[in-house]
Amino acid sequence: MLIPHVVYPVQDQFCIRKGTVVYMNKMLRDKKAIALFMAPALILFTLVLFIPICQSVYYSFCEYDALTPPRFVGLKNYTKLIKDETMGIALKNSVFFMIFSIVSQLLFGLLLAGLLTNIKRGRNLFKNIYYLPCVLSSAALGLLWMFIFSPKLGINQILAMAGIEGPLWLMDTKGTIILPMWVIAFVALWQYVGQSMMLYMAQISGVSTSLYEASYIDGCTRAKTFRYITLPLLRPMMATAMSLNAIGSLKFFDLVFNMTEGGPNHKTEVLATHLYTQGFKFFKYGYASAIGVVLLILCLIVTFLINKFVKVDNYEM
Amino acid sequence: MKRKKLLSLVLAVSMLASMIVGCGGGSGAAGTSSSDSGSSAASGEVEEITWMFWDDLNATEDLISKGYKDVIDRFNADYEGKYHCTPVTTNLEEYYTKLNALVASGETPDLFIVSPGPNLTDYVTPGVAADLTDILKTENPDWYASFNGGMFDKQTYDGKIYAVPTNLAAACVFYNTEIFEEAGAAVPTTYDELLDACDKIQAAGYTPISISAGTAWCLSMLVGYLCDREGGPDNLDAITNGTGSWTDQTFINAGNKMVELSQYFQKTAAGDTNDVATAAFYNGEAAMLIQGSWVIGQINGANPEFEDKCGVFQFPAIEGGADPNRIIAKTDSLAMSSKTEHKDAVVALMKYFTDDTAQKYTAEVGGKIPVTSVEVDYDKAPKQLKYVMDILANTTGTLGFYNESLATTEAGSEFDNQMVSVYLGDQTVEEGFQKVQDYYEENIWNK
Repeated sequence: MLIPHVVYPVQDQFCIRKGTVVYMNKMLRDKKAIALFMAPALILFTLVLFIPICQSVYYSFCEYDALTPPRFVGLKNYTKLIKDETMGIALKNSVFFMIFSIVSQLLFGLLLAGLLTNIKRGRNLFKNIYYLPCVLSSAALGLLWMFIFSPKLGINQILAMAGIEGPLWLMDTKGTIILPMWVIAFVALWQYVGQSMMLYMAQISGVSTSLYEASYIDGCTRAKTFRYITLPLLRPMMATAMSLNAIGSLKFFDLVFNMTEGGPNHKTEVLATHLYTQGFKFFKYGYASAIGVVLLILCLIVTFLINKFVKVDNYEM
Repeated sequence: MKRKKLLSLVLAVSMLASMIVGCGGGSGAAGTSSSDSGSSAASGEVEEITWMFWDDLNATEDLISKGYKDVIDRFNADYEGKYHCTPVTTNLEEYYTKLNALVASGETPDLFIVSPGPNLTDYVTPGVAADLTDILKTENPDWYASFNGGMFDKQTYDGKIYAVPTNLAAACVFYNTEIFEEAGAAVPTTYDELLDACDKIQAAGYTPISISAGTAWCLSMLVGYLCDREGGPDNLDAITNGTGSWTDQTFINAGNKMVELSQYFQKTAAGDTNDVATAAFYNGEAAMLIQGSWVIGQINGANPEFEDKCGVFQFPAIEGGADPNRIIAKTDSLAMSSKTEHKDAVVALMKYFTDDTAQKYTAEVGGKIPVTSVEVDYDKAPKQLKYVMDILANTTGTLGFYNESLATTEAGSEFDNQMVSVYLGDQTVEEGFQKVQDYYEENIWNK
């Protein structure tokens, strides 16, 4: 049966074919169909996420070494967390990392997306080049950058040729936010900027050319078009990209672990590495679970704040 | 429409199938190996066991690790059709983390290497490591008798043996005889003479001491030696009993001496890993390396020509300090999983690690000290081993690595980290030891 190609009045932001709407409505009345379609995702979500989260919350109130049964100790792990100096450092580093990632990925992601949508030749080549680090293993990249920043190899050797004594990129401990954290944040930006760029490019390519044409007729320059047409239409994607960046950077683990292992003396510890060390190195799974719960709450708060304060207006494009 | 329905059905089924296969893959694979070996044991087929080790047996240049590879190859060849061992390897830095993850997930390797001290305690206390007392003393008395005296001291808890040593190493100062000669420096026997030698070597344009603070235990080993030379065994005993304090003058003095010595370290010591620092020594850039004698296998494996110019001396005495003839010593030990279903195969493998062939190799090729009374031809062995044996002959006692002699692995890690922080100039010696003291007060003594 052919569905007539009739465009009906706008529902949400999409135009939906009548046949599809009718079919969907019929489907949505069938409770069995709903259950069937939801089941795979629901079962997976429950098994892989929900049950482990509940278990972690329970373990966070226990002393648990994973080898003997957990022993309930109430809020002991949480009171210890408050006094834990390393936890303070990890929180500071994670928050720094999140702010740095959100701001830098937003700026550079937009810049690259803006540039690449405006060049005529080599767009796909550059798109692939910028996106390439995203698909490589973070563990391998962490090791690679560790070698590049190690004192006897890489950058410092090049600097030495010019007679400059390079800093201890991954061991310097001076300042509030120490040099190794800036280095790791830079590497993370290099690795993930391609992802933000792709998200923004996808959104830009969805903007109707008639809008641009209209703006040019009205005498807009390219910069003004970007400011008044592209940017406002990019807002929904900005909120999504910022949420993804924020959660990703709070949970960040692999580059830090492979480049510094949280050292020297816990100075580059982030929440995820602190959790890992306490759990897997020292068998303190109860305490590690408490760190995990704090991390979960932080992620929820940040996502909530971003969704609340980044205003998203839906435009028809 | 029908065709569409059919297509969507096929797609849905294939998606579901791929999900089930994807989810089941991991557990299926893991399950296969255990069920295979379980059923094979019953039907008389090959019994598969795993052994976990902290070096890559195929990529390593370390002669001791190569010796371990020979042991596994010999075992697999001799027991072909009956037992088979698959090594599970990782690098040293991540060894315990990976082992702990396997233990926590109920996949403890049948046999695993472990350092005596709190690391072994971590597996003894929750019952992960099997009690080997009966296996050694009752079932295999000849095997037990082949070990040298005192070899099981650090593996024994409440009279029960939980691990079998495979070799012994002692921490000494390795030095480049050519650089010493060129600089006109004499082998130091006291701390002041060590400073004097360092001055001369530095004046001659060489780095006096190559050390790694990037690998924290290397720096903490030096501090451990200084602590022992300052305060002797009383230092650690008092800490263990809770009667002493980390802020006692002997510890502070030791810390100050480490800071004093740090002016003679290579400039990149803060970021260098253990391997990089060791390479700086055997490549002739630095004159001294304070390291365990396992490094002999590493040095001679990487740069065989260096053997002739590599001397060894005992860590110097501190005038007015404690007994200068004590030495840091450490064994590699093997622990058996208490859950293993292949006890006979594991015991057979452990015997291969300590048989005459393996122990002769340990000394004559690897340069480490055998744990059994095997006859060793020291003329064949690396020259450095002879020097180490001479030093050992005069020792009055041994101590473990400081970080491996403390109450828990976390306490050892705390000591390492605070010493690195002191070295980096992040905090004073007093502040560093105060933090270790605070850690002990909160987590060990008042727990």
